[in-house]
Amino acid sequence: MSVLTIQGLRVAVGDREVVRGLDLTMQSGEVHVIMGPNGSGKSTLAHALAGHPGYRITGGTAEIDGVSLLDLSPTDRVRRGLFLALQQPIEVPGVRLADVLRAAGVDPEGLEGRIRVEAERVGLRPDLLSRFMNVDLSGGERKRAEVVQFALLRPAFALFDEVDSGLDVDALGAVARRLAASSQEWGCGVLVITHFSRLLHDLMPTKIHVVRAGQVVTTGGPELAAVLEREGYEPFGAPSSDA
Amino acid sequence: MVPFRESALDFVRAQPDAAGRLAALERFDAVGMPTASEEVWRYAPLDAFDLDRYALATTAPSAPTTSLADALSTVAATTIRLGDGFVLDSGRPVPGVDVTWLPAPAGADLEPYASDAFSLLNAAVTPGVTTITVRSGVEVPGPLVIACGAGETASFPRVHVVLEPGARAVVIEAHEGGRESLVDMVGEYDLGAGAALTLVAYQRLDHTAWHIARTTARLDRDASLSHAVVGLGARYDRSRNDAVMLGSGAENVLRTTFFGSGDQVHDFRTRQYHVAPRTRSTLLSKGAVADEARSVYTGLIEIEHGARRTDARQTNHNLLLSPQAHADSVPNLDIRENDVVCAHASSVGPLDEIQRWYLESRGVPRREAQRLMIRGFFLEMLDALPPAVAELLTADVDAALGALEVAG
Repeated sequence: MSVLTIQGLRVAVGDREVVRGLDLTMQSGEVHVIMGPNGSGKSTLAHALAGHPGYRITGGTAEIDGVSLLDLSPTDRVRRGLFLALQQPIEVPGVRLADVLRAAGVDPEGLEGRIRVEAERVGLRPDLLSRFMNVDLSGGERKRAEVVQFALLRPAFALFDEVDSGLDVDALGAVARRLAASSQEWGCGVLVITHFSRLLHDLMPTKIHVVRAGQVVTTGGPELAAVLEREGYEPFGAPSSDA
Repeated sequence: MVPFRESALDFVRAQPDAAGRLAALERFDAVGMPTASEEVWRYAPLDAFDLDRYALATTAPSAPTTSLADALSTVAATTIRLGDGFVLDSGRPVPGVDVTWLPAPAGADLEPYASDAFSLLNAAVTPGVTTITVRSGVEVPGPLVIACGAGETASFPRVHVVLEPGARAVVIEAHEGGRESLVDMVGEYDLGAGAALTLVAYQRLDHTAWHIARTTARLDRDASLSHAVVGLGARYDRSRNDAVMLGSGAENVLRTTFFGSGDQVHDFRTRQYHVAPRTRSTLLSKGAVADEARSVYTGLIEIEHGARRTDARQTNHNLLLSPQAHADSVPNLDIRENDVVCAHASSVGPLDEIQRWYLESRGVPRREAQRLMIRGFFLEMLDALPPAVAELLTADVDAALGALEVAG
């Protein structure tokens, strides 16, 4: 049993502070959803936690079981247990997924077979994954390739940034079911950033966080989704101050 | 040791085709050895080069280096083995493919090399021309491997490959061995109308070798040449690659990649010469230098008057993996026709930080991520090859890159 604890996290992009004192806690096996309007800091949170060089942490903490992630290299953050699936996965010409997974320490035994199985679970043609990473893949194929990586790395916690963009309804269902299953299979804590409440059907989140202006303004159960769908983000208000 | 020039003359006089060779040797004398003051030689460590240090290879070696050749032979249609430029094994018969051994070229055949000392020297003292002809319409079922091993000598391999009209083949030139050697190679490729050739020149000579290669392809109408030049070895690795598009619709895709460490110099030169209309050339040069290594890319696109609707593009990316490494990029255009599309782009810099982060964020350690990315340059080159060959050369690239150390 692990716990991911984010407290008072502040992140700047260039001179602008985009995440401004964000708190969030989740346990192994839980499925959380982060929703919020464009520009509220959701993607910034995700990139900063994964150590993207374009984002600067200006305050707060992020820990797994008391170990600070923010002091670790991007490599060690995922090895310690936090994986990020990108909204826009990056092309790396000349580099293949299987080689990356082996270099990441994934058990090489039967790896190609496991990649195939995971690809099929999210409706992705397995041969697309023997191409160079993300090269000549459509947006939706890239998103599913991220899920395959996730499933083979089996992190303690995983963040999925805008998981719905680029996916059609069927693919979205398959991805959501794969994420939900991971919480059963290895007790993964799944944190999904989305705009798309339809996703919640298959994902069955335990908690929904509403983020505005770089803070979590409301946390609630699945019932929050209906409110959001009906009334949008407006009723949840912006944070009262830049505390 | 006998001065090189003297042993060259003795060798030439003993050959049956001495007259033509003598003419080449005289031309070589007239041109003289290059000096660093010549623009095209300014990056070569010529002050550390002395022809007299080398013994001319006058006989076939008794124990040639063959590890790469042995590996490639398992996936090849046939493997022609050269040692110090001499044919050691002309391979097994392949239907529609003739392998012969011809005297050295002379006279008019030397015109394209009129001012090129090393090519003239090759014409004078090469043991002979290994000639491979793929007959009209024949599609060779597997790669034709030309495995060139080199000993501690000056050697002058020369190959001439002819694809008759409509022929299709994959040819791999593999260069290995060559401790304390000079390997001065000339390759000529003639593609008949509609012929298609995939050519890989894979060089992983010993890091003490001087490798000077000149490859010229002449393409007839609708012929297509996909050419990859891979440079891993040699102290000084000079590779000039010309494609002359003589027939309309001819197409040349040329990709070069190299990796330099220690004090290696990779000196890549290309010339894509569009003579006929509607010809296309695409060039991608991508390499990395570490330690105190340096690289030079000099590329010329030349478009003749009348070569209308030509499309020529060159792109050059150089990676610097240490503060002491250095890369020069010199793209040139010489266009004598208006109705053309021409583009070139070049960059020099460190590895892409975002790509590296992406791999790290999958759990790959930084050093390993960098190694994967550099290895990726080579894998891109090999991607067009039959999978069994690509796999084998990938393993060889891995061995050559070894425990790659990258600063930063």
